[in-house]
Amino acid sequence: MPQVTIDNKKVEVPNGTLIVEAAKKVGVEIPVFCYHPKLQPVGMCRMCLVEVGTPKRGKDGQIELDANGAPAIAWMPKLQTACTTVVSDGMTVRTDTAQVADARRAIVEFLLTSHPLDCPICDKGGECPLQNLTMAYGPGQSRFPVESKFHNAKRVPLGDLIMLDRERCIQCSRCVRFQDEIADDHVLGFAARGRGLEIVTLSDPPFDSKFSGNTIDICPVGALTSRDFRLSARVWEVRDYPSVCAHCSVGCNILIGERDHAIKRIVPRENASVNEIWTCDKGRFVHHFTVAPDRLTTPLVRKNGNLEPATWNEALDLVASRFKEIKWHDPNAIGGLAGDRASNEDLYLFQKLFRQVIGSNNLDHRVGWSVTNTGADSVRVYGAGVGTNLGALDQNVTALVFGADPEEEQPVIRLRLKRSARTFGANLIVANGRVTKLAKYAKQSLVYQYGAEAYFLLGLIRAILDERLENRDFIATRVQNFDAFATSLEPYTVERCAEICHVKPEKIRDAARQIAQSPNFLILYGREAMFAQQNDVAVARALAALLLITGHLGRANNGLVALYPHNNSTGAIDFGVLPDGGVGRTRVERRGLSAREMLGRSNERPSMRALYVMACDPAADGNFVKPEFLVVQDLFLTETARLADVVLPAQSFAERDGTFTNTERRAQLFRAALKPIGEAKPDWWIIAEIAKRLVSGLQFQVSGSQVSGNLKPETWNYATASAVMDEIAATVSLYKGMTYAALAENVKLPRPRSGQGNPSEQPTEIAMGELENISSGKVWASVAESDARAKFELVWSEPSRPLTADSRPLTLAVARSLYDGGTLVSKTQIVQARVPAPFVEINSQDAEQLGIADGARVRVSFDMRVIELDARVDGHVPPDAVLIPNNLDGTAALPMGARVKIEKV
Amino acid sequence: MEHLILRDLDISDIDRIEVYEKHGGYSAFRKAVKEMAPDQVTDAVKVSGLRGRGGAGFPAGVKWSFLPKGVFPRYLVANADESEPGTFKDRQIMERNPHQFIEGMAIASYAIQCHHAFIYIRGEFPHAAQCLERAIAQAEARGYLGEKILGTDYALRITVHRGAGAYICGEETALLESMEGKLGQPRVKPPFPAVVGLYNKPTVINNVETLANVPLIIERGADWYAKIGTAKSTGPKIFCLSGHVNRPGNYEAPFGSISLRDLIFDLGGGIRGGKKLKAILPAGASSFVINPAANEAVLDAKLDFESLTPFGSALGSASVIVMDDATCMVWMAKKTSHFFEHESCGKCTPCREGTYWMARLLDRIDSGAGTLADIDLLANVANQILGKTLCPLGDFSTAPVTSSVKAFREEYERHVKERGCWARK
Repeated sequence: MPQVTIDNKKVEVPNGTLIVEAAKKVGVEIPVFCYHPKLQPVGMCRMCLVEVGTPKRGKDGQIELDANGAPAIAWMPKLQTACTTVVSDGMTVRTDTAQVADARRAIVEFLLTSHPLDCPICDKGGECPLQNLTMAYGPGQSRFPVESKFHNAKRVPLGDLIMLDRERCIQCSRCVRFQDEIADDHVLGFAARGRGLEIVTLSDPPFDSKFSGNTIDICPVGALTSRDFRLSARVWEVRDYPSVCAHCSVGCNILIGERDHAIKRIVPRENASVNEIWTCDKGRFVHHFTVAPDRLTTPLVRKNGNLEPATWNEALDLVASRFKEIKWHDPNAIGGLAGDRASNEDLYLFQKLFRQVIGSNNLDHRVGWSVTNTGADSVRVYGAGVGTNLGALDQNVTALVFGADPEEEQPVIRLRLKRSARTFGANLIVANGRVTKLAKYAKQSLVYQYGAEAYFLLGLIRAILDERLENRDFIATRVQNFDAFATSLEPYTVERCAEICHVKPEKIRDAARQIAQSPNFLILYGREAMFAQQNDVAVARALAALLLITGHLGRANNGLVALYPHNNSTGAIDFGVLPDGGVGRTRVERRGLSAREMLGRSNERPSMRALYVMACDPAADGNFVKPEFLVVQDLFLTETARLADVVLPAQSFAERDGTFTNTERRAQLFRAALKPIGEAKPDWWIIAEIAKRLVSGLQFQVSGSQVSGNLKPETWNYATASAVMDEIAATVSLYKGMTYAALAENVKLPRPRSGQGNPSEQPTEIAMGELENISSGKVWASVAESDARAKFELVWSEPSRPLTADSRPLTLAVARSLYDGGTLVSKTQIVQARVPAPFVEINSQDAEQLGIADGARVRVSFDMRVIELDARVDGHVPPDAVLIPNNLDGTAALPMGARVKIEKV
Repeated sequence: MEHLILRDLDISDIDRIEVYEKHGGYSAFRKAVKEMAPDQVTDAVKVSGLRGRGGAGFPAGVKWSFLPKGVFPRYLVANADESEPGTFKDRQIMERNPHQFIEGMAIASYAIQCHHAFIYIRGEFPHAAQCLERAIAQAEARGYLGEKILGTDYALRITVHRGAGAYICGEETALLESMEGKLGQPRVKPPFPAVVGLYNKPTVINNVETLANVPLIIERGADWYAKIGTAKSTGPKIFCLSGHVNRPGNYEAPFGSISLRDLIFDLGGGIRGGKKLKAILPAGASSFVINPAANEAVLDAKLDFESLTPFGSALGSASVIVMDDATCMVWMAKKTSHFFEHESCGKCTPCREGTYWMARLLDRIDSGAGTLADIDLLANVANQILGKTLCPLGDFSTAPVTSSVKAFREEYERHVKERGCWARK
C-alpha cells in the first residue's frame, strides 16, 4: 500500500486512493465543491488544489536524499486537484501553505462573483457548503462590482419536484453525475458554455427520474431546491428525528425534519446496508398525509346510523363489550385484518389480542396482495444470510432476480443492484414475464411466459442436475428426499420446460451453470413471483430446491430475499398476522380463516360477525359486505371506515415510536417526530386498551377458575412502544435481544446545524457520506444459518399447469406503479403529476392483430369484470401477455394470470 | 525555394490526385506499408525530430510510441479545428494540398496500426471539409484507403467529422468529447488520450500541418528531414502573417531561418499605410504581446519553438498578428478577453468566472470608467486564473492581458486619466 505524507502526517492507503480521501484519514480537510465520494471525480471546481510532490529520482532511478537524509521531493510546478490525483508511494502533499490558501481564496472569490448571494431567502442557507467554505477559506471582501454580475433565470422548474436557480448554480455537475452514475436516468445535462453554462433537463416529462430529490441533498449550493420544502422554513429551525420510510419494503433510513409540529421535509439518513445516502422521491415527498386536514382526530361511534364523535372510553368500552358478547357465543366469529404498514409492536399485540384473549386464529394481513405460507416459510428457513449487502454484491455473487420490478416497487433496491452489478461486478440474472428497468444491468435477461414460472425454475434445476453441477456433499449431508425429487423431475427435460416457458434451452443451461458454479447465489423474488406462487405452489418449492441442490444457503450472499410490497410486510409475517402462522414464524395448530375467507363474496353472507380492521382498507377493493360489528382503526375515514360501527383514530409513523422490519428482515427503529394529531393514539396502545377491557370482563366471567397469565390485565400494561418491543425481544426468538437500545446502535444524527446543539461544531452537510459507511438495524437469522446441522427436505410439487406447450389467450400480468392512486399519495399534491393514468400495456404484435394503436382507449374483460383503459403499445411485455398496474385509479384487486379479452372502445 | 508543405504554390492542381501522384504523391505511403514495419515508421518520425505544429511542439514520434501495447482498436484523430485567431495554415493545406495531409494520416495510421482515422474539422470550414472528402474519395478509388490497401492486409478508413463552432474543441480532450457527441469540454488528464482516448481507446491526436510533414520524412528520409531547420526544431514551418502588414498570408520557411523582421518587413512587405510597427502577437490570441520598442533584438531572433522565450513570449502555432502604432493595446486586450470569455467552455471555475471578470474590467477601463486600481486588479485577476485551470485555455486567456499591462502600462493609465481610448478620439 502506498504511503503518503500530508501536511507532515504519514498515512498508508490502498492503491487508487485519491489525495482528498487520504487526507480525511489523517484529519486534514481539503475543501471541495464538485467532488463527492459517491461520484466520479471531475476536477471542475478547482477548490481542492494542493501542492503535490513525488520523490526526486536520479538518473539511476534511485531516490535522491536531501541534506537531512530524507528523500528529496520534486514538487510539481502547478497545484494539483486533490480530487483527481491518485496517491503514489512517497508522495508528499501540502495543504497548509500560502500558495494553497491563495488558490482557495481565488476559487471562492471567483465563485462568488456570479453568485447572487441571496442567502437570506435561500433554502440551503445554514447547511450550504458554499457558505461554509466561504467562511473558512474565502476572501473577507468583494472586489467584484455588483452591477457587473451575470444574471440568469432564478425560478426554473426542472421537473415536477425540483426548482432550479441558475444564478446560484456553480456548475459542479454533481446533479448530472448523480443522475448519470447513480440513478442511471440520464435526464440532466449542461447546455451552452462559458459563464452561460447551465443545467437543463433532457427528458420529457422533465427530470423524469424517481430519484430526483437526491440532487437537492448533494447540490453544494441552493441551486436545486425542493418544490415542496422551498421557502417554507429555515433549516436551523427544523429539528431532525431519525425515522424509517413508511412506504416500500426497502426501509430507507430517513430524517424527519419537523417544525411547528409538521414535517417540513424528509432527507435520507445514511445506512450503508440499506439505502447508503439515498432515498426515492416517494419516500421524500409523500409525507403530507401525516398532517392532512382529513386525518381522524377523535374516535367515532355510529349513533342513529351516523358516525358521531365519541370519547376514547366510550368507543373502547363499546368495542370491548361487543367483542365480549360475540366471543361468548363463538370466538371464531371475530376476525382481524391488520395492514402490513403497521409497526411490529402493533402487529404483535394485534395477534396477541386475537390468539390469547379473543381465542381466534382468524387473522390476516394479506389484503390486496398475497404471500403464500410456503413462500413465507422459505424465507424463515432459507432467508439470505446476515451480512448480505444488496448494494455491494461482487463478482463472486450470482443473483437471480425473479418476477420483480424494483424500479416501481422498491426503487432504492434498483439502485443497489445496479451498483452491485456495475461497480462491483455482481452477476445478475434477471427473469420476469416482461422486460423491467433492472434488465439492463443483468448479464442475462430472461423473459418467460407468465404462468409458466414453475417450468422456468424446473428447467434451471434440471439443467444443473443434467450437468452434474449439484452440490453433492451438501445434498448428502443436509438434504432429504433428493432421489425422489430427481425421479419426479424425470419428465421435465430442459427442452420441454424451455418450450413451455418460452426461454431458449441454451439460455436456461447457461443461467443454470452460472447459478451452480458461482461461489455465492442469491434469489430475490418480487411480487409477480409471489402471485405466481399463489397460483402454483410448485414455484415456491422450486425456488427452495434451487438453493438446496446447490447448497447456496446459510451464509451471507446466499439464500432468499422476498421483495415484499410494503414497509412492514416482513413484520406482519414475523408476528403471525396470518390464519396459520404464529409469532416468530411458528405454525398454529388450528388454522383460522384467511382474509379472503373472512371477507367472502358480495353475494354471500359475511362469515364473520365482527371484524377488527387495522391499517388496511378491504372495502376499497370492492365486494365488501359489512359484518354485524365492524371496528376500523386508521388515519383516515377509509371506504371501510365509512361502514364501521366504531372508528378509532390511529397515529401515523411520524407521531410515535416503533419498528419496521424491511425486506431483508432488518428490524429498524423509528422515532416520534410530531405531536399527535387530535386525540389519535398509537395502534399498540389502542389494542392494549381493548385487551385490558376484555380481560377484566373475562376475569370476572371465569372467576374462581384458573386465570392464565395473559388474561391478567397487568400483562397488557405497556407504558411505551419500547416496552412492547422489550417483551418481543425477550419472548420471540427471531427478535431475541432486539430492544430499542440495540436497534438504536449506530443510529446517528448528522452533526448539528448552527442554532442546534453545540455551536462550536461544524455545520452539517446533508448526504456527504460523512458518517463513513455506518449500518444500523438488526437482521434476524434464518434457520439455515442459525442451525448448522439443520436438515432440509426437498418437496416435489407438480406444476399446476400441465406439461404441454399450449398457445394461450392473453394472460393478465399485474404490476404496480410507484406513484399510486392510494390515500397516502393522494395527500401530496406535488406528486400528482407523476401518478400515471391507468393503462394497459400490450405487445405490439398483439396490438396489431387486435387493431389497437398506442394511446387508444380499450375495454379489458376478465373474470366477469370489465374496465376501460388507455393502451400502451410497447416492447416491455411479451406477446400473449397484457400488463396492468393494479394500484391506479379503478384497477384494484386484479387477478394475476387471468385470461383477458381486449377490444377497442 | 521549393515549398515542402505549401506545394500548391509551386504546382497548380496538386489537389487532384493524379497531379499529386505525378509529383511523387503516395509513394511514401506505398513505401511505408510495403517496405516498413509500423515501428520502423514511428522510429523514422522520432529520428526526424518532427514536433507538433499545433503549438505545444511535442515530438510526434514520441507521442505515437505512447500507445499501450496490444490494446485495439486505436485511433488517429487529425486536429483540424484550426481556431486560434490569426491561424490559417491548416486551411490552406486542406483546401489546396489535401493529399499530402491525407497521405500523412495514412502513414501515421499505419505506424500506430489504426484502421479508422478521423479528421475533426471546425464547422466554419465547409469548403475545406468538402475538399478533404473529395480527396478521401479519390484516395479510396486509387486503393490508398479501404480494405487490402496496395495489396497488403492493411485496411484504413478516414472519416471527416465537422465540429459545431467551439475554440475549445481544438483542445484534444474536448475534441474527443465533441467527437463522441458530448458537450465540448476538456477531460481531466491523466489519463492521456494515448491511453484512454476516443471511445476510451488509445488515440493519437496530431495537427494537420504535423501530419502533412510525415510523407516527406518517409519519402526522403529522416536524416534529410532532420537537417532542415534547427537541431531542436526540425523541418519546414508555415508562418501565418496577419494584421497591419502589406502582404498578409502563409509563408513557409525552415525553422530558424527567418526572424520576425524578415517575416514582417521582407516577406510581408512592411507595415501598411506607412505606419510604424507597435506590437506583435506571435501565437494568435494566446500570445504574450511583444513590444519591439522595448527590445529591438526580438525582431532579429530566428524563429523556432524556443527563440522567443528569452523575450517573454512563445511561437506557439506561429500565428503572427502584427499591429501598427494606431492600435490601442487596451482595445487589443479587450478583444482577446472577449474572445476567451466567449470561448471558455465553463467547466472549471477560474476560467469560467475569470475570463468573464477580465472582460468586464477591460470593458470598464476601455470605456474610460476604470480606475488605476482596476489595472492592478486586472493583472491580479489574471494571475488568479493562471495555473489553476483544468486545461490551457484559462492560462492562454491571461497572456495578452498580463503581458500588455506589463509592456504597455502607460497606455492603460492613459485610459484612466483621459477617461477613454486615445485611439478612438
